[in-house]
Amino acid sequence: MAADTTSDDRGLRKGKWAPYGLLSPGILWLVLFFLLPVMILVRTALSSKATRFGNPEFSWQFSNFSSAFTDYGPQFLRSFVFAGIATISAILIGYPLAYWIATRSGRWKNLLIGLVVVPFFTSYLIRTIAWTSILKDDGVVLTIIRAIPFVPQDFRLLATPAGVIGGLTYNFLSFMILPIYVSLEKIDFRLTEAAADLYGTPWQAFKKVVLPLSMPGVFAGSLLVFIPAAGDYLNNRYLGSPKTSMIGTVVQDKFLVQFDYPVAAALSLVLMAIITTMVLIYSKFLGTEGLAV
Amino acid sequence: MTNRKTRIQPSATQATKADLSRRKFLGTSGLALGGLALGPAILAACSGGSSSSDSSSASDELWFENWTLYIDKPDGDLYGKGGTLDSFQKASGQKIKYTEGINDNNEYFAKIQPLLSKGKPIGPDIFALTFWMAGRLVDLGWVEKLPLDKIPNSSNLIEALTKPPSDPTGAYSLPWQAGMAGIAYNKSVTGRELTSIDDLFDPAFKGKIGMLTEMRDTIGLLAMSLGIDLAKPTIKKFQPAFDKLQEGVDSGQIRSFTGNDYIDDLEQGSFAACIGWSGDVVQLSASNPNIGFSIPESGGTLWFDTMEIPVGATNVAGAAEWMNYVYDPVNAAKITAEVQYISPVQGVQEELRKMGGTAAALADSQLIFPDASTLAKLQTWGNLDDVQEPLFDEEFAKITGA
Amino acid sequence: MVMSEGVAPPYLSRELEAPGKPRRGSNTSGRAGSRWGQRILTGFACLVYLYLFLPLINIIVFTFNDPIGRYNISWDGFTINNWLDPFKDKELTDAFIRSLEVAFLAITIALIMGSLIAIALARYRFTGSRGIEIFLVLPLTTPEIVLGASLYQLFLGRNIIFGFSTVVIAHVMFCVSFVALTVKARVRGFDWTLEDAAMDLGASPWRSFRKITFPLILPGIVAAALLSFALSLDDYIVTDFTKGEFTTFPIQVNNAFRVSFPPQVNVLATMVLIVSVLLLVLTSVRGEKGVTR
Repeated sequence: MAADTTSDDRGLRKGKWAPYGLLSPGILWLVLFFLLPVMILVRTALSSKATRFGNPEFSWQFSNFSSAFTDYGPQFLRSFVFAGIATISAILIGYPLAYWIATRSGRWKNLLIGLVVVPFFTSYLIRTIAWTSILKDDGVVLTIIRAIPFVPQDFRLLATPAGVIGGLTYNFLSFMILPIYVSLEKIDFRLTEAAADLYGTPWQAFKKVVLPLSMPGVFAGSLLVFIPAAGDYLNNRYLGSPKTSMIGTVVQDKFLVQFDYPVAAALSLVLMAIITTMVLIYSKFLGTEGLAV
Repeated sequence: MTNRKTRIQPSATQATKADLSRRKFLGTSGLALGGLALGPAILAACSGGSSSSDSSSASDELWFENWTLYIDKPDGDLYGKGGTLDSFQKASGQKIKYTEGINDNNEYFAKIQPLLSKGKPIGPDIFALTFWMAGRLVDLGWVEKLPLDKIPNSSNLIEALTKPPSDPTGAYSLPWQAGMAGIAYNKSVTGRELTSIDDLFDPAFKGKIGMLTEMRDTIGLLAMSLGIDLAKPTIKKFQPAFDKLQEGVDSGQIRSFTGNDYIDDLEQGSFAACIGWSGDVVQLSASNPNIGFSIPESGGTLWFDTMEIPVGATNVAGAAEWMNYVYDPVNAAKITAEVQYISPVQGVQEELRKMGGTAAALADSQLIFPDASTLAKLQTWGNLDDVQEPLFDEEFAKITGA
Repeated sequence: MVMSEGVAPPYLSRELEAPGKPRRGSNTSGRAGSRWGQRILTGFACLVYLYLFLPLINIIVFTFNDPIGRYNISWDGFTINNWLDPFKDKELTDAFIRSLEVAFLAITIALIMGSLIAIALARYRFTGSRGIEIFLVLPLTTPEIVLGASLYQLFLGRNIIFGFSTVVIAHVMFCVSFVALTVKARVRGFDWTLEDAAMDLGASPWRSFRKITFPLILPGIVAAALLSFALSLDDYIVTDFTKGEFTTFPIQVNNAFRVSFPPQVNVLATMVLIVSVLLLVLTSVRGEKGVTR
């Protein structure tokens, strides 16, 4: 590999302004329609409203934040618990499948992973409504479950926390499977062969070799499940009950129904802050750097 | 694919020249493409001058924004031959655009608030909001006075269904349809008739009770069961009703709060009973005799959806024509035959009988033509002002989990 | 790995003995483990696929339902009428078309801007590239509800009319990051000196882009396009906040759900599904002949 005066051995260039030119439209868009709005949200969260339907005025109103915790603590907690359980479930369900696909041969792989993506192409909402049909009290599934001994006759899945968590797990499962698959696919499985020889049992080989190598995928997948799940309100709307309301439900209601923009904005930011913190802790815990997949 | 080993080693000078031109190319084309993409989008967004893309450009077209399933649709087509819209257009020569964009009072209010609060027109010439929301708009000054002199047929209206507490002079709103909230139940699940709110709290139906997201109907029924009057509501007076509702949620008695989708749950038996609306039950019980409806002994709520003209509407004359048209008993009967809610127009009962067939059967329905004793059991909510309303809404939202 | 003198590790020795001959019980695709373990894993994988497809099956089956009431949730009888008249519900069909319009416009814009970003990041080394990468990931790690709410505030404050444009702006915003990261992942590790070679051979920048770079990034762009299409068509939460009076397909379904859930919803959703699967199959077939890493 010869040395190149203007690029490294992969042909990467040291950019002057070309890269900035390429970046500018997209980054500008994100600055205008992501960064700026979030900053406005911060401003609104520190505002108060003079009249009920008037515009909020900036007044360093930190009380909006404190009321977020005092009034809506249960919803926050519930959202994180639901999202957490959904994430763990997604890992338990998705990892074996990703592993299974990654260890298939050749062209089957692409087909199989493609099948994982297919459910994506129906509307999120319609998939959720389909679950209300599948899990309805007098439907096939519930009848079978009730036939199992020890299950009470008034057992149901709709309008329960289990229903909401099930919906969350399902809707974001593909987001978990894909990153894990991608990281598993990169593994040279001759390593596991060698490891199996070294360690004696395939399980040990898996634990010591495959699992650590697939951690970036698990990390990325966890984020892609937990974050949207924590802020979701559709699953709760269709599969839940008044007792399972999540913070997303509250924010949506406060913004679009009650017009209480300051408190709603404060709630959104608190949600974002807590999620970011959890992500940072999680990444330290896993020892992986970033979402590079 | 070229084998790495055989790639050509560029000389220094050649590389530099090629470099510069390519970099320049990539850079400029990047900016150009980006600009092309960004430009129109930003321009489109900033064209906030004109109203929404759906505005009726021709001021001679009348735009009526209403709820879904609130008018007849011959063969599933709103403008089908012989339908109300079609007949109106033929009779008056006035073109009408009818949209079903209202799904929820608060949602619709959120849509129009940014515009009306800044004095900008919203597009529709008439909209039909529930009486209490109309009252809020009246208080905010966002609706125009109705040209009552151009609506002579308004004298056909049933007195009791005009001038709700939210618009005591009746200068700003006229009724579209009225309805009752009461107990809707599935006899095959409950095993009996239900007649009081206490039935809804019967432990036998635990987890099978539904209530409405419409605060006034749910809290109204509960309040009346506790002997509270709906006429001059304050949060203090109504606290016991909220407490009772909270109890129902906490104990698991109430399964969920719904909009119109309670109908499906009721039919399937996921709900044994719920608070529901008369018109829905009429339609449902036609196909399913198990579904029953009753006004609780302690009383039910009477509500109206009313027509208003928003400020800035362009076709007020057309609006008056339309209102006059639908207050003719013959035309009103056509609407009632389909919609099956309480018509505000006198004489509709006889017109329905004249129509014969299934329409005539509706003429005998207590739910569409409540007699005096039924009406006596109904109350309409008093006005909630700017101070009380947010308190009620917030309290209700806490319980329903919003 | 320790290799004692003269004794090859088991897998190598087997290879040496009988090169190329398929062996039972071990192979290089990593199927370490007992046959039993494999069977259980395969069985589990099948169950997961069933789980993933259960709602889709429900949706497709219910396109043939003839519901008695206004809700297509319980099975009442078989009919093909829904397929004969899929556009019966005018509001639904209009909303569906609007969803498609939004998706196509948003994808086009996002693909252009996102690919440019990806090329810049993958091709150039420049200061701030790490920062840009992190910035790109931020919208993905922000809950949809925060994205939607903040855009709502932005447009409200600037007196911008909610509608088609605001929805497109929002969709482009969350698609740009996905596109950039997807395309970038695909082009990482490419040998860019191929372009150098082409240029040295006399190709103009445009020609070398067209013949070398573009085909290389095309699979990434196609993947990103499919992903963005699904994201945009499906999107509920962000659209909910930026739509005003405008309705897209999922919004219309949710709104109408208070009153009805017609079979046409399922029919339209199934149509999207069929087209998407076809596209997926086509692109993966083409992809087989494409560039391997």
